Amino acid sequence: MDATQDRSNRLSVTRAGGQLITDYWEDLFTARERGQQIVWYNGGALNPIFQAAGLAWCHGEAFAARLAAQRLEGPAQLAGAEYGYNAELCSYARTHLGCSVLTLGNQGQALQGTEGEHTGVVGINDSQQLAARLPSPDFFVNNYAGCSTGQQWDGISFRVFGKQLPIFGISHPFLWGNKPDAGYLRGEEWESASRYVAGQLRELVSFLEAQTGRPFDYDALSEAMTYIKRAAELRREGLDLCKAKPAPATFWDWIACVAPINFLPGDQGLVDYFAGVRDEIAGRLAAGVSGVRDEKYRLYFDGIMNWNKLGFLSRKFAEHGAAVLCGRYIHNAFWQEPQLIDTADPLLGMAKHYLLCPTNHGAKTLDYLTLRDCREYDVDGIVFHSTRTCRAFTGPQRLLARSAQDKLGIPSIFFEGDVADASFYKEEILESRLAAMLEAIDVRRSRGVPLAAAVS
Amino acid sequence: MPDATAPLARLGQVARDPRGYIERWRSAHPGRPVVGVLPINFPREIAYAAGTLPVVVQDDQQPVTEGRSLLAEFYCGYTRNLADQAATGRLDGYDALFLADHCIQLIGAADVVRAVLPDTPVFFGMLISSMSDTWAPGKITEMMGEFRAEFGSFTGHPVTGEALAASIRAHNRDRQLIRGLFDERSSGNAAFTPGQLQDIVGASMIMDPVEHHALLAEAVSAVRDAPRDDRVRVHLSAHLCHAPRRELLDLIEDSGVIVVDDDLFHGRRYVSTDVDETGDPIEAIARWYAQRNVNIPCPTRVQQDVDWDAYLVGAVRSSGAEAVIHLLPKFCEPHMLYYPELRKGLDAAGIPQLLLETEHEGLPAESFRTRVEALVERVRRKRPVPA
Repeated sequence: MDATQDRSNRLSVTRAGGQLITDYWEDLFTARERGQQIVWYNGGALNPIFQAAGLAWCHGEAFAARLAAQRLEGPAQLAGAEYGYNAELCSYARTHLGCSVLTLGNQGQALQGTEGEHTGVVGINDSQQLAARLPSPDFFVNNYAGCSTGQQWDGISFRVFGKQLPIFGISHPFLWGNKPDAGYLRGEEWESASRYVAGQLRELVSFLEAQTGRPFDYDALSEAMTYIKRAAELRREGLDLCKAKPAPATFWDWIACVAPINFLPGDQGLVDYFAGVRDEIAGRLAAGVSGVRDEKYRLYFDGIMNWNKLGFLSRKFAEHGAAVLCGRYIHNAFWQEPQLIDTADPLLGMAKHYLLCPTNHGAKTLDYLTLRDCREYDVDGIVFHSTRTCRAFTGPQRLLARSAQDKLGIPSIFFEGDVADASFYKEEILESRLAAMLEAIDVRRSRGVPLAAAVS
Repeated sequence: MPDATAPLARLGQVARDPRGYIERWRSAHPGRPVVGVLPINFPREIAYAAGTLPVVVQDDQQPVTEGRSLLAEFYCGYTRNLADQAATGRLDGYDALFLADHCIQLIGAADVVRAVLPDTPVFFGMLISSMSDTWAPGKITEMMGEFRAEFGSFTGHPVTGEALAASIRAHNRDRQLIRGLFDERSSGNAAFTPGQLQDIVGASMIMDPVEHHALLAEAVSAVRDAPRDDRVRVHLSAHLCHAPRRELLDLIEDSGVIVVDDDLFHGRRYVSTDVDETGDPIEAIARWYAQRNVNIPCPTRVQQDVDWDAYLVGAVRSSGAEAVIHLLPKFCEPHMLYYPELRKGLDAAGIPQLLLETEHEGLPAESFRTRVEALVERVRRKRPVPA
């Protein structure tokens, strides 16, 4: 087999998702002209609440990821660097904060201003790019679970904008598991944390009523969550279909589906999109079409996406015949437990999903989830994306690698990259380590040693 | 040669060898547990009231070896050091570990402890860090109550109100004595070096507060006032959860600087706030936690109506400092996020400043010396020229 041949076979339906995303952002960029208020938020998917409140919303991580995926993150990151943000800081945060700097500059508040006046790098020519098109917020809402930086990030955005704009924060207890009954979706810790966050969502509704001057439309929220729940169910059905051998679609297809499930409006269009994803996968399964031509290895991917490298990585793994099938960022995030949502009274189910952020669990629970998915998808190895500026995702990775080796006999590799800063990606390290792990899997197969036997 | 039995030297020994103190304490208090508590806000008062010796686990400044395979190299030095301590048996002296702060790197290290020391209980009671929320006071009080209950379960004895009140009094008395030294320093008394003050605070994180107070009182009684000399007066800022290396403090003062104030964790920040000795002790400890962030703002908390930058400008004006040196431990995200606000605030106030990024291993001494000397030159040029 020619190692340079592209063996990836991505779903065609995700192109439609790409258009939905483009339309969403264009809509946001012109929201103020249509008289809409704009909220900037981070963390869990509050968009159904904003939708019901009649707001336009911007998810900070999502915008940073979009910039990185389009390789347009440079001006924002340079603006952030000039403002004083260290390159080791979460690249989502410093990209988004750089957007704040550019946005304020465009408003004439001259944090950066015109070329050469305050800065030698980012001037008006750069700031006219996408990063600077983000409309400034009317207020902030923070909904970050797990990562402590997330909450601090919005606290700093509030300061960058001169401490003039309202801000609302939702606090999420970390699901550490102090008590003997603690576990995934169970135990008093889980139940009490869920009630606590749901109570804060009710406070958020009051805050939004004060900001908009309108009573909150709970019926609209139920309607939006009905669509989102259905979309999430279709997404799970599609994910389950990918357990087949060979897999009809891969992790990279699901990465392309993150934006729709994470922040698009809850409406029929969203349901139609995920029905299309599920149907294309089912069609491939029926026709015997795989996501990687001549699938030879099945891998798990742990880490946030390296958004600069989505297409590149999908081709790279496929070149080796490696189908990356599942991962924490896909299977354990984004409305992943739709059965928890009561569409008639959705706040509690929404609160539970915010708590289920994949960085909000202690390593014990992550161990359970990772090994469960490795078994269900019958993977041969794990690839850990050691995400340079995301300490939240990388924290438990070494422990997970040990556990997978000890309990399932599954080998793993680490490679260094980042969510939105391409400078941290190390191509040669990934290539050499991936080749070595796949070779080790070959050797084990040649000896006829199945995974379970490798452990015993 | 300094007298090793002198009170100040003994405090320094404890600060530099916590395990030695723990062993001695265990011998003197058989059957009583020693608990490790992690920075930065765990209420030591509750643990002490339960009859345990609560020890703030220090960065022991040993090179990270086994810990390298447990946490990523881009975690801060303190958390990698904690992982290393757990993996190499250097946390074996603790019967349990408690933490209260939502720092994702600290949580990562605690998870490592839990994994490699499965028989050591690791309790995480997360104190709310969004301080402006209307429900924050109630949630903080609730969590302090959970700590009390947990220590009751851990020791097998309920933590009584009387024991809490006594613990609060003991800690307040010790804090007040230490804080007095910082107040004297910022008022012009240069009797203690930054390294000595760091040892005093560090020892207070380890020792029984009654014992620490007695030893410190003895040490203080032997020290005379010493006026500041003509070196450039500097405020040291941050290093929010562990101590900077003593060599760095020495280097800074050897470079033409005299430290006149700080907001270091192993400094004024740790002793900034007393617990109200009246009323319900758990509610008082909850108020103490909230008030700490008002007295000296911390970037790990989110509170819209307090400003670390404004605090720094005020502290500089109060102590007569001529410049600020920011000590940023590499990979400390809250500090990295807040630093531009500090820079803006100090620039607007016309206060010279220098950022030094510290690492767990290695101290680029000559590079730091050059930069501190440049700051010194810059400040000296600003000084009024005598007629």
